[in-house]
Amino acid sequence: MNLLLSDDYLLQDYPENITNTIRSGHSTCVRFNRKGDYLASGRVDGTVVIWDLDTMGVARKLRGHAKNITSLSWSRCGRYLLSACQGWTAILWDLQTGKRHREVRFRAPIYAAELHPWNHHQFAAALFEEQPMLVDITDPIDVKLTLPSVQKRANADADAATKEKQAKEDARHMTTAIVYMATGDHLLTGTSKGRLNIIDTRTREIIFSEKIAAGVVTTLRLTESGKVLLVNAQDRIIRTFHVPNLSVPDLDPDTIQLPLEHKFQDVVNRLSWNHVTFSATGEYVAASTYNNHELYIWERGHGSLVRMLEGPREEQGVIEWHPHKALLAACGLETGRINIWSVTSPQRWSALAPDFAEVEENVEYIEKEDEFDIHPQEEIQKRRLDAEDEDVDVVTIPKDHDDVESFRMPILFNLGESDSEEEFVNVSLGTLRRKSPGGEDVEAVKEEKAPAKKAAGTARARGKKK
Amino acid sequence: MSALDTVGGTSGPEHPSKRRRVDDDSIDSTPRDGSPDPLQGHHLSIRRGRPQSHPGSRSPRASHLDGDDGGNQFRSPSPLSPRGSRPGSRESSRTARRARRYSRSGSGSPSVSRSHSQTPRSHRSRSHSSSSSASRSRSRSSSSSSNRSLGSQEQQTPRLSDAEPAPAPSTQRTHITPQYRRKLALRGHTAAISQVRISPDGRWIASASADGTARIWDAQTGEHLDTLVGHMAGVSCLAWAPDSNTLATGSDDKAIRLWERVTANPAHECGDGGRTPVANGGGRGGKLRTETRGGKTGRGPLLGHQNYVYCLAFSPKGNMLASGSYDEAVFLWDVRAGRLMRSLPAHSDPVSGIDFCRDGTLVVSCSTDGLIRVWDTSTGQCLRTLVHEDNPPVTNVCFSPNGRFILAFNLDNSIRLWDYVGGTVKKTYQGHSNKGYSIGGSFSLLAEEDQEAIDGNGADRGSQIQPFVASASEEGDIVLWDVKTKSVVQRISGAHKGVCFWVDVNGGIMVSAGQDRVINVFRQVSTLPNGRAKLQPHALESETPNLAAAADDELQRQIQEEAGSPLRHVKEELV
Repeated sequence: MNLLLSDDYLLQDYPENITNTIRSGHSTCVRFNRKGDYLASGRVDGTVVIWDLDTMGVARKLRGHAKNITSLSWSRCGRYLLSACQGWTAILWDLQTGKRHREVRFRAPIYAAELHPWNHHQFAAALFEEQPMLVDITDPIDVKLTLPSVQKRANADADAATKEKQAKEDARHMTTAIVYMATGDHLLTGTSKGRLNIIDTRTREIIFSEKIAAGVVTTLRLTESGKVLLVNAQDRIIRTFHVPNLSVPDLDPDTIQLPLEHKFQDVVNRLSWNHVTFSATGEYVAASTYNNHELYIWERGHGSLVRMLEGPREEQGVIEWHPHKALLAACGLETGRINIWSVTSPQRWSALAPDFAEVEENVEYIEKEDEFDIHPQEEIQKRRLDAEDEDVDVVTIPKDHDDVESFRMPILFNLGESDSEEEFVNVSLGTLRRKSPGGEDVEAVKEEKAPAKKAAGTARARGKKK
Repeated sequence: MSALDTVGGTSGPEHPSKRRRVDDDSIDSTPRDGSPDPLQGHHLSIRRGRPQSHPGSRSPRASHLDGDDGGNQFRSPSPLSPRGSRPGSRESSRTARRARRYSRSGSGSPSVSRSHSQTPRSHRSRSHSSSSSASRSRSRSSSSSSNRSLGSQEQQTPRLSDAEPAPAPSTQRTHITPQYRRKLALRGHTAAISQVRISPDGRWIASASADGTARIWDAQTGEHLDTLVGHMAGVSCLAWAPDSNTLATGSDDKAIRLWERVTANPAHECGDGGRTPVANGGGRGGKLRTETRGGKTGRGPLLGHQNYVYCLAFSPKGNMLASGSYDEAVFLWDVRAGRLMRSLPAHSDPVSGIDFCRDGTLVVSCSTDGLIRVWDTSTGQCLRTLVHEDNPPVTNVCFSPNGRFILAFNLDNSIRLWDYVGGTVKKTYQGHSNKGYSIGGSFSLLAEEDQEAIDGNGADRGSQIQPFVASASEEGDIVLWDVKTKSVVQRISGAHKGVCFWVDVNGGIMVSAGQDRVINVFRQVSTLPNGRAKLQPHALESETPNLAAAADDELQRQIQEEAGSPLRHVKEELV
């Protein structure tokens, strides 16, 4: 609604400088919800913190994991959040209650777990040294289905030794990144040998596979429309691909093509990239750099570097672009702070005084014919009131964007209580900083032990033992 | 002043040659309907002392326009203001505004008891602190003595409801008309009630009173549920959180308090206004932590305003609270942490009204300096300023249900509907009297199809929704207008003895409160689809002035009875 009044669309659409730094524990990954009003951050100690971007304050804290959070994924409605940790578990949180909706255990640490874009009772997980899983949690007992990392070989006539060799090879071929395509019918997976697979979620078979990178694929991201794919691999090259439309009824797997669009790399410094993200519209690509403090932003249209964001003197890990604003969030690797870059629009001074206007150059003033006519007060008043014959609509809400998301996060007042392990200080308006950054704040107390938190000392000790 | 849009390109044909005419606008606009008769306006102007009726008082702003020869050109419809000249002219406009303020105080009228009678004003440490005029009258008082004086004023006020024109016959083209009938009268407050609001879910009523308390009532039964005690002075304003479970109250003790509706306890366990960090070092031991928290901050209020808190609004998500104060600033609070997020130097007079638009991205504030300002919530920047060319003080604002318009209550007996994007007044509603008090009202939405009035913003119904504007009136009436035709569609005469301060509507329920310490609850009488009211005979009768007056006398009698036992809560079924 403020867009009706602001000139912000004239502003540049990529962030410019750090506007906020928020901190709760040591964050390792962040994710915006679809609407862009909340940011979830996963901490080293396994706590998931939901930030309200309006207030830049904590909206919820979710305790249940014991290990470093590795990935977060929001449901479309914004009510459910899937978090995965190195401690072999994934938890689907219900943010209405703040309790875990479902918990799924695996037999390995989880690289990434991604919720189905439409159905929050299904997700796919890429596991460490295990084959990826497709998990359905509709029923009380979850159904885990293994997904392949390697396409089936069409070599029925090969001899046993070759087969054995190939099987061994295939067993070392792992899926390291996984993402749902826009419809949710197919999965895109990246493997440890630089292959990109497309898996049909119904048949759970690889329908397309191509070697796209020389190293391990570390990140896969899709634009909101799902038409462009962003791949980060360990060969120091970021690639974008056009994703084929797989929802046509008579899809022939042999005709699928995944054309490469751009390669982004720093050939001078030979930088490698920690994490990559698309901008809101997919127009820009941003990446955090390994062993370097800067964030790189490329423009996708021409494939050119448009900006290197200077941040704090700290290497940035996971970065995320806001779903519709020019706003970037990145986790500092050392301090665990979440740094937020965005644009600040200047105050238009003419907005403060309606009888002024900002003009670019002198304008000749031409007096109107009746400018200084003197009319009786009543006549003016009457004329003015008679002019108000327009039809006004004070009720109808324009249906320009989907208001389907009816979920409203409850407002909690007792966060101070649960924040007790952190001492916040107001640094400036809207900015919080921990008072003692070196302070220990490992907190492994689980939900059910919350009453016992009064004896925080013992709980803490228990937490450390884990 | 719709200067922006006229400047922007078109020459504003609907307001030709407006600048100069400002000089002549000194006499306050006489309402078209002429319903508030001059006698009454005069009477109130004694109490209130609004200078509009004073030709000289209007002039400073106008004379600023005159005196600044070059500036006039800059400001005129086709401006040529070079950038360099802006600061100077802005400066002069500021002085002009200040001059207006002085002139207002110079009008010699005693200002009013917005909550304090003249005495405790000394801590208003602004340059104009000596001018007692800046205070507005909602006639609430922090001390019992002023309560009493208030009461006596009330008695001095002649009842003028008889002098009004008869309620306008509902001859408008719309199918549904508001037919609100009084169902309940809630009493219990021991001083005038400044605001009353229905919770978003329509189940509760909260009232803020000059007796320093806020009360929660059941909207259906009228049962008194809780009294929120904690403020040290009169409570000026309150706001419901969108989930109807939290209530914010703002008081003349400069504090804002958040309350849980269910328990009537302060909502914040550790809210300390963000001034001090939460107890540090306490994290080592739970017991210690609890003690330090409780001891240091307790369940504290939101502190930060330097003067009376006068208006409050929750954001639609409930995560932010906007407050306006006599310290002329608008504060945005993080509700969860009880932390001051942003302070906007909003106005040059007390901030009298505030509201969030439906998606929470805009905040509108208004002030008795005559400005309505629209703010961007996320950046804190002013996006638009609306001024009517007569520059009447604005005492209350709210967004339309769809957030596209702003309804502004002006102290010239007018309510104006602004298109804030174009910066023009779309409608002016007249027919009530409002010259001295900051009275409030709201939009009322009635659904056409299902005869039940819809609750909240059920804009998604297939049925036609009919919007109305409801407002209190200083002679104690409640007036409802059709939004489009500007015609009065219902007038509840003599709803209150003395001034009716606030009307809030939520679908089929309407509540009002006023100087007589009574909260009236009205219900929409269901209408037939063809528009005729399906009225019970006795409901019709109760609308006749005689019976209403009789009921009022009854109310008044009970008020006087209650003076002896102020804490008694009386619930009365009228129908």
